[in-house]
Amino acid sequence: MTKMITEKPITLIGGYLGAGKTTFINRLLNSGGLPSRTAVLVNDFGDINVDEQLIRSGSKSDQVIGLANGCVCCSIADDLTSALEVLKSSAIERVLLECSGVAEPHRARVQCHYPGYYPHASVVLVDALNHQQRCKDKYVGTLVAAQVQQADLIVISKSALNPDFCLQTLQPTIDADDQDAMEVVLGWGSDANHGHSIPTNLAPSFFTQTWQSRLPVSLADLTQRLEDLPGSVQRVKGLVATDAGIIEVQRVGTDTQLTPWTQPPHTAQLGLVIIASAADDLASIDWAS
Amino acid sequence: MLTLYKARSVITMNESMPRATAVLVRDGMIVEVGEPEHMEPWLRHQEYVVEDQFVEKVICPGFIDPHLHPSMAAVLLPMEFITAMRWKLPWGEVEPVTDAEGFDRRMGALSTKKSVDEPLFIWGYHQLWHGPMSRARIEDIAGDKPTVVWHRSFHELYMNAAAMDMVGVVAAEIKPGMQIDIERGWFFEGGLGYAINRLNPWILAPDKYAAGLQRLKQVVHHGGHTTIGDLATGMFNFSAEAEALSQHLEGDDVPFRTRLVAHGTVLTKGGVPPQQGPELAEALLQRNSHRLHFGRHIKLFSDGAFFSQLAQLQEPGYIDGHHGEWLTTPEILEQHIRSYWHAGYQIHVHVTGDLGLQLTLDILQKMQEEKPRFNHGFTLEHFGFSTPEQIRQIQALGAQVSANVYYLHELSDSYTQNGIGYERASQMARLGSCFRAGINTTVHSDFTMAPAEPLNSMWVAVNRINHVGDVMGATEAITPQQALQAITLNAAHVIGMADITGSIRAGKRADFTVLDEDPLTCDPLDLRNINIYATVFEGKVFPLA
Repeated sequence: MTKMITEKPITLIGGYLGAGKTTFINRLLNSGGLPSRTAVLVNDFGDINVDEQLIRSGSKSDQVIGLANGCVCCSIADDLTSALEVLKSSAIERVLLECSGVAEPHRARVQCHYPGYYPHASVVLVDALNHQQRCKDKYVGTLVAAQVQQADLIVISKSALNPDFCLQTLQPTIDADDQDAMEVVLGWGSDANHGHSIPTNLAPSFFTQTWQSRLPVSLADLTQRLEDLPGSVQRVKGLVATDAGIIEVQRVGTDTQLTPWTQPPHTAQLGLVIIASAADDLASIDWAS
Repeated sequence: MLTLYKARSVITMNESMPRATAVLVRDGMIVEVGEPEHMEPWLRHQEYVVEDQFVEKVICPGFIDPHLHPSMAAVLLPMEFITAMRWKLPWGEVEPVTDAEGFDRRMGALSTKKSVDEPLFIWGYHQLWHGPMSRARIEDIAGDKPTVVWHRSFHELYMNAAAMDMVGVVAAEIKPGMQIDIERGWFFEGGLGYAINRLNPWILAPDKYAAGLQRLKQVVHHGGHTTIGDLATGMFNFSAEAEALSQHLEGDDVPFRTRLVAHGTVLTKGGVPPQQGPELAEALLQRNSHRLHFGRHIKLFSDGAFFSQLAQLQEPGYIDGHHGEWLTTPEILEQHIRSYWHAGYQIHVHVTGDLGLQLTLDILQKMQEEKPRFNHGFTLEHFGFSTPEQIRQIQALGAQVSANVYYLHELSDSYTQNGIGYERASQMARLGSCFRAGINTTVHSDFTMAPAEPLNSMWVAVNRINHVGDVMGATEAITPQQALQAITLNAAHVIGMADITGSIRAGKRADFTVLDEDPLTCDPLDLRNINIYATVFEGKVFPLA
């Protein structure tokens, strides 16, 4: 009998120490929203509430496995590949992998090509309170900046403590405190930004598109375009040059906010990131001007 | 019963009496050093024998390698070596193989030597010397004998079809992007883990591992060591390793002792708070036996592997702009160091690049401000890249240096071309500066990163000649006297055993390395060719063929 080999997706949860990875994973574990047959591989058990999770799920197919940092050349049997090997033939259908705080997503991603798996998305948490300071750190500044650059989806944590925090990047960004944050993270696919679906049984999936205009648009036109967006668009975020100056656009669900950008214009990276739950809808947005 | 050792010369490494010709030993302990007539008062009323087989030889303090990895070595040593550099192994010297034809010739010879179904594991391949490797190339030579060719860095390997069948590589599972090139039989990075998981039944099989440890025992003896440091005990698994070590590295036939330094990250694995580390480390002392000793030492890690160019560098970094990596999150490293610092431990930190070193020194500075300590023995392990300014900091903070000086020999030329440029490559292992600053400095092999031959380390430290024959950073060379001190007394200080070994004086254990030539007066270029005649461990002679 031949068995179809189904590859299991791995979602990487990265970000520097203190960015809120553990809090986020604990919320996932305790939200009840974690699909069954999900294995959670944590960098070290640390503060993960393993027992609570096992009691809650009551299911043997959900597993939380602790990993220690390791390099194959220094430990022969590194924890990660051993865990992946064990899970390969299990009933597990997907893996959430917490990266070490010093991991670069693109290096961690390499590991997700382990036979039987594929990298689903690199999610990176960014701490609104300390990120800017940390980017200047002489030891980890480069690393922290690289983590953000290599992310498919950025999750901002602790924004309540620093409401003015704004990450100047044209990457899909959500807030850890958003009601649907878990849903977005779990449904995120790394090649979603190519506007096509990926072969996965995961629902819902999210798709993203970046829109940039070289010429200023009129504010009225921009408002109209935002209003006309299809219902599957969950978020729009970014900065747009208009006839009324640079405008910051923030839209979650149907709640749209347009605010004049008061900071120096040279720090502004212009463009909008649009996140939708239906790829077709995203493809139908034709904003070419 | 006393034993009187006579020699052409005894190099004591005791500054107060640098040379002698006789050593008197009772029950494994030195009771008198000097000229034969100085022994008289002891001999008047006690029985003694004269050990005169060394009268034409030179007795040195027993050599010490303060940083190697018996467990890693046990995995590697059962393999066959085909290397671009010379490796002197007890079962034969591995002559350098520096071209593709030579590699294939030797692979062919090894292949015919093995019985039909015995797999062939080769270690030491490097594309710079041996040309592109592939499954087809292996098959041209070794046919369908299962053959695995492991890269010198250990980070990639090649297998022929027979080896892939043997270990159960499923071609259908392998897809593009997995860092496995099934056509070439090439497994690297993420793909290497896949291969290793399947190779483990062969390379970690208990009988293989035991055979590997037996070979390690021979290697250590052959290098002239009477003491070594296992600088990451527990890297695979604490209890399995401790058990295997006590089975193979303890007993009357073992000619050396081992300082065991626990792998700090593994010790507190599983979410144990760093504050509990010292308590767990303390419990390891229960396992101590005569030759195997945990002490109040701990091993921690700063930046990435030197051989993989993952050392963290200060500006201007690597020529190609890539960055190194941290093995431990800097804040977590600080938590670990704090915990052991306050508990009074001697801390050994793996540092390879000058940024990794700077982080470690900044943490040490903080510790000194929190709780000043003297004679704390904080040791910087490997010490690849450094700056002259950091030498002053190391001195001011009271730290010591244990360097892998072999980096300079094997890598300074290629790192000049493809890495960091000439200036910094020529100043790897800045040992001359360390000695001038009065820093206690030793050298190690990190075996299997470098040959476990203290005389070879001494040769590199004194001559600073790289593998293409260029002298690199001549002012950082050290004298033969300093180099011999590095591999004896200074090494003993680094592993906390200077009270019992490292020099030849009354009161210390009778640990000697007996040489045919005098390493302090011979041509420095001949240092690595000096024949080791025998070692003496605690008064017992272990001859070397």
